[in-house]
Amino acid sequence: MESEQVIDTAVRLEVYRFFVDQGRPPIPAEVAHAVGMDQASVEESHRRLAEGHVLVLAPGTPYVWMANPLSAIPTPFPVEVGGRTWFGNCIWDALGVVAMLGGTGTVTTWCPDCEERLSVSVEDNRLSSGEGVAHFAVPAAHWWDDIGFN
Amino acid sequence: MLLFRSEEHVKSWYQKQGVPTGAILTLEQPWELARLWYTDRMSPDWRRRTPTEAQAVFASLGLTGEFWRLTAAAG
Repeated sequence: MESEQVIDTAVRLEVYRFFVDQGRPPIPAEVAHAVGMDQASVEESHRRLAEGHVLVLAPGTPYVWMANPLSAIPTPFPVEVGGRTWFGNCIWDALGVVAMLGGTGTVTTWCPDCEERLSVSVEDNRLSSGEGVAHFAVPAAHWWDDIGFN
Repeated sequence: MLLFRSEEHVKSWYQKQGVPTGAILTLEQPWELARLWYTDRMSPDWRRRTPTEAQAVFASLGLTGEFWRLTAAAG
């Protein structure tokens, strides 16, 4: 029998692979099919990964809400990489999507104060254009108190 | 973690919300944080950083002080 660590690694890799490929996270049945496990074991793995702050599940469900830096739901942080679009959870995560997917892409967002559209572009792992400042409202020690807000 | 047009817009927004501001970063800082934090997220060998390791990443970008102090792993 495989260890929980081996299972969780396989599930994590499949969640991210599928999410990047399809633009949405997989449901547990899709992960189970891909990794050759039963659905209940995948759901248990999702919960362990959520407890370990590797994934964030939609409240009360085994479904992936966030596989940081990716968001399963549209946010004010769309990220364009190679002609495709994903959503980040915040400005840090949106830039994280660019970093995770090769280091070239553009994040678009809107200033909460004036609602002006802002974009930040990265090329070959260097900022190539963009303006603005980032604001972190919550001290680092409390980021996971309410990750949805943060 | 939001992007504002300028520091003045951060202050204006939080004043309107009636809550204090947190930490304001240059655009380069969240990019470098993102690069250091997420580049390897899809690697089989990726593991969550310990609080000490995460703190070292913050410090490497000049993110120090009480706001950035971790009592538990983050990110």
